[in-house]
Amino acid sequence: MIALGRLKSWEGLLLAILVVVVAMNVMRSPYYLGIDNVVNLFQLSIEKIIVALTMTMIIVSGEIDLSVASIMGLAAVLLGCLFKAGIPMPAAILIALLSGLAAGLFNGFWVAQAGLPSLAVTLAGLIGYRGLARVFIQDHSIGGFPVWFNTIGQQRTVGPLTISIMIFFILFVIVAVTLHGSGLGRLVYAIGNNTQAARYAGVRVKLIKLCLFGASGLVAALAGILYGARLGSVRGDIATGFELDIITMVLLGGVSIFGGSGNIIGVGLSILVILNLRNGMGLANITGDTQTSVVGALLILSVLVPNLMHTLKTKWKERKT
Amino acid sequence: MSKYLLVTAALAIGMASGGLAGDVTPGKGVDMVLLPKFLGIKVFDQAHQGALEAEKELENPKPLKYLGPTPENSVAGQIEIVTNATTQGVGAIMISNNSGDQIVPAAKAAQAKGIKVVTWDSPIPSAEGEDVFVAQVDFTEIGKVMADMALSIMGANGGKFAILSASPDAANQNAWIAAMKEALKDPKYAKLQLVDIVYGDDQQEKSYNQANALVDKHPDIKLIMAPTSVGIVAAAKAMQDGGLGDKVKISGLGLPSEMLAYTKSGIAPEFALWSFTDLGYLAYYTAYALATGAIKAEEGATFKAGRMGEYKITKDPTRAKGLRILMGPFTVYNKDNIEAAAAK
Amino acid sequence: MNWLQRRVRPEQIRELSLLLLIILAVTIFGSLIPYYYTSRTFDRIAESVTIIGIVGIGQTLVVLTRNIDLSVGSIVGFTAYFIGALIAGNNGINPLAAILLAIAMGAVMGAINGVLVAWARVPSIIVTLGTLAIYRGMLVDLSGARTVTSDSLPGWLLNLARVNLLTIGMVRIGALFTIALSMVVIFQIGTTYLRAGRCIYAIGSNPDAALLIGLPFRRLVFLVFVISGALSGLAGFVMLARFGNITVEAGRGLELEVVAAVVVGGVNIFGGSGSVVGATLGAVMLGILEQSLLRLQISEFWRDALLGLLILLAVASDAVILQRLRTLWGRAELKVAPGMPPPVPETEKGVTNP
Repeated sequence: MIALGRLKSWEGLLLAILVVVVAMNVMRSPYYLGIDNVVNLFQLSIEKIIVALTMTMIIVSGEIDLSVASIMGLAAVLLGCLFKAGIPMPAAILIALLSGLAAGLFNGFWVAQAGLPSLAVTLAGLIGYRGLARVFIQDHSIGGFPVWFNTIGQQRTVGPLTISIMIFFILFVIVAVTLHGSGLGRLVYAIGNNTQAARYAGVRVKLIKLCLFGASGLVAALAGILYGARLGSVRGDIATGFELDIITMVLLGGVSIFGGSGNIIGVGLSILVILNLRNGMGLANITGDTQTSVVGALLILSVLVPNLMHTLKTKWKERKT
Repeated sequence: MSKYLLVTAALAIGMASGGLAGDVTPGKGVDMVLLPKFLGIKVFDQAHQGALEAEKELENPKPLKYLGPTPENSVAGQIEIVTNATTQGVGAIMISNNSGDQIVPAAKAAQAKGIKVVTWDSPIPSAEGEDVFVAQVDFTEIGKVMADMALSIMGANGGKFAILSASPDAANQNAWIAAMKEALKDPKYAKLQLVDIVYGDDQQEKSYNQANALVDKHPDIKLIMAPTSVGIVAAAKAMQDGGLGDKVKISGLGLPSEMLAYTKSGIAPEFALWSFTDLGYLAYYTAYALATGAIKAEEGATFKAGRMGEYKITKDPTRAKGLRILMGPFTVYNKDNIEAAAAK
Repeated sequence: MNWLQRRVRPEQIRELSLLLLIILAVTIFGSLIPYYYTSRTFDRIAESVTIIGIVGIGQTLVVLTRNIDLSVGSIVGFTAYFIGALIAGNNGINPLAAILLAIAMGAVMGAINGVLVAWARVPSIIVTLGTLAIYRGMLVDLSGARTVTSDSLPGWLLNLARVNLLTIGMVRIGALFTIALSMVVIFQIGTTYLRAGRCIYAIGSNPDAALLIGLPFRRLVFLVFVISGALSGLAGFVMLARFGNITVEAGRGLELEVVAAVVVGGVNIFGGSGSVVGATLGAVMLGILEQSLLRLQISEFWRDALLGLLILLAVASDAVILQRLRTLWGRAELKVAPGMPPPVPETEKGVTNP
């Protein structure tokens, strides 16, 4: 009964939830499974799910990065400001990407090198990078990007899929291979399980954490740029609050907040659950903050339920003996 | 016999010249979506009431959907709502556009599916993706009205003043400010000096703080002009709380009911507005007429919008492209007429 | 040096240096900005300090136990809105009843946080990140996204912002500011002298030891979240009195400013050290920076960038400097404790055997 064993796992639970959510949505709206809507489903949250991939690695290593949304904003704003200053688009994109990398490495320095708690450091980053973004762009919005740029975010270029969606799938494969099929991945799990032990075993914890935060920043910058392409313009408050969804996607996917466990398939399934949930709510005319509060509840449940199950299991075992 | 011939001939000529002036037939079921800049502002609630009134008159069996984003997610939220509405295949979308030209791709996708896109209160600047804009007033005229109010408040000696606007992307406020700047070029206003423009994003706290910041940065300003119903109230309270009601006056566009106390106390001696209820009513009628095919979105089309009378689609003189329906009058409120207006 | 080490704790040095920094900042800004030493400046700073200060007290207690409460912004907005709606609907309501209701509402919301953290063992970052979204969503839903407007509120509420209780020279102490000040005093005394207060410090310093000693761990963690919620409710009332118009956006982003003030004020993010007074000083420092930067024509947006930097510096310095200070202090205590054998000679330079 290996199949049942699989089903009982967290991924099985997610799959069941996904089926229920999709069924409810299809009943409500006949257009739901059409290719148009499926692409929309991804498009409306594509930037968040891209960042969720690197966030997975960060959380598995036992840390957290609250500043991703602000780095997205910073990169998008830099792109806009450079473009407005007359710098050619490709150069502006490169600089924006590098800024994200720099921000991530800055975070990583304080966490890995100075040993400060990532919660505090990235909280400072959340405030600071957003502030920096607003210093550059003030209260304005910058738009009017060249058509080829907007196409990346908006147009269906590869068949019915947009370039953003392609980027997501490519990154998904990269992270999956890194986390589950490479030595580096095993080290990340080891660090998450027991940092001290890993350090004594000779693992270069500081270097790996630095790289993880750097990657997180770089990918966040990429997502910010794609967001700007999709909206056709950038503002100082772009992507505010995205970290909630991103962290929920990872934790709901079975990745433990304490680090050391979880897998990318689970995260993939939870991404599908949240996307379908949000899209379904949107089609049911539930908007904005209500949708977010549902995601917030999911976040709490994703940690609460395993806790409860664990307590119940221990109590059950105590009964039996 | 000849009488009948005459009547028939007249009817024939009438019908030949483009049909009876858009006859809006009630009773047809059309899915309509009313999309304000964002939720939570009284003036948009009033527009909602107006639209509901129109819905009742037109006996549209399908209920109006009033959807809006939250203020910090206004642009992405509006795009999302338009996209979802397109998927659902509604009949018409009425949007007060807060997203500048970023809404164009989504709007065009809606039009491609046969959905009518009617903007009200704030248009799509490039007019792409938009069928027609229901304008509450002539935007150029608003500029002149604001300039006149500024002059009357600051007096012949003029002085410095600043503008507290809403969102820097808001097409309507930007157009009004541009019109005001244009109007100020007239030598009559030579002594009026505009020193700053700040943005309160139509949010209470932010507008309050921005108003205070204006006074901090320019201690000698005599007037804050706020063409936003949220900003004007916030600025008035800020001046009242700071005890500056005598030094710094407030004006702009606001709701009489919200500004009553401040006008009576003299902090906001004059301000203007139009009826948002009427605007919502008219927008609904327009969208319904377009969606049911009673009129086409082209220059010269006319139709009767219920209790408000006949309206005609014309070219919009304030934009490079685009059609508009001009609703019309607005009122300048002061101590004399505000009590009556606030009671309504 | 010994005398100093015996009388003063390292944390107090931290707060003292913050106070000196504040005085320094005021002096520098005063020389750069004309009309700085006026009542208007004081008013504006007091305004921002009031709300952040009140919420900061609760946040301090939470952080002391090694937790964090990110839902305060939503609680403040929620209570501000619904108490406002309540008062708007019943203009004759007793002011005291309204205030107590606001506090109670906030306490309930804080209790939900507390249960999840203390008993369900969900990390506070997760719980409060979730309730931040849930409470805000509830606010938008239940209110129908309408606005509480000042024209529907009674005069006593609207005038509360302008009531002056005391005027010392140019400085006007308003009613709202007094509420904040009294809260700070009450809680500073409470955490220093009440048994529960000392237990809170113990829990944050060393949770395992606290459990072993038998401290009411869970009840105390639950309590600090309830207090945080209750104080946020009070702050919601103050916000209502100050702004009059409350939209569903009220309080959004407040949690970040509060955490910043608390951290800058010397409350250690690892828990166990810091004080209510320190957090309030942090709020004052931030208020001064914000107002002064504005006057200097420096873009207001630098404030957030600086805020992030300040938090980073505060946490970094706490981790590094405070640790060293504590080690030094610890050695000093060992040296002067009566009846103990002299300690092993130090091998690090700078410390000698008496």
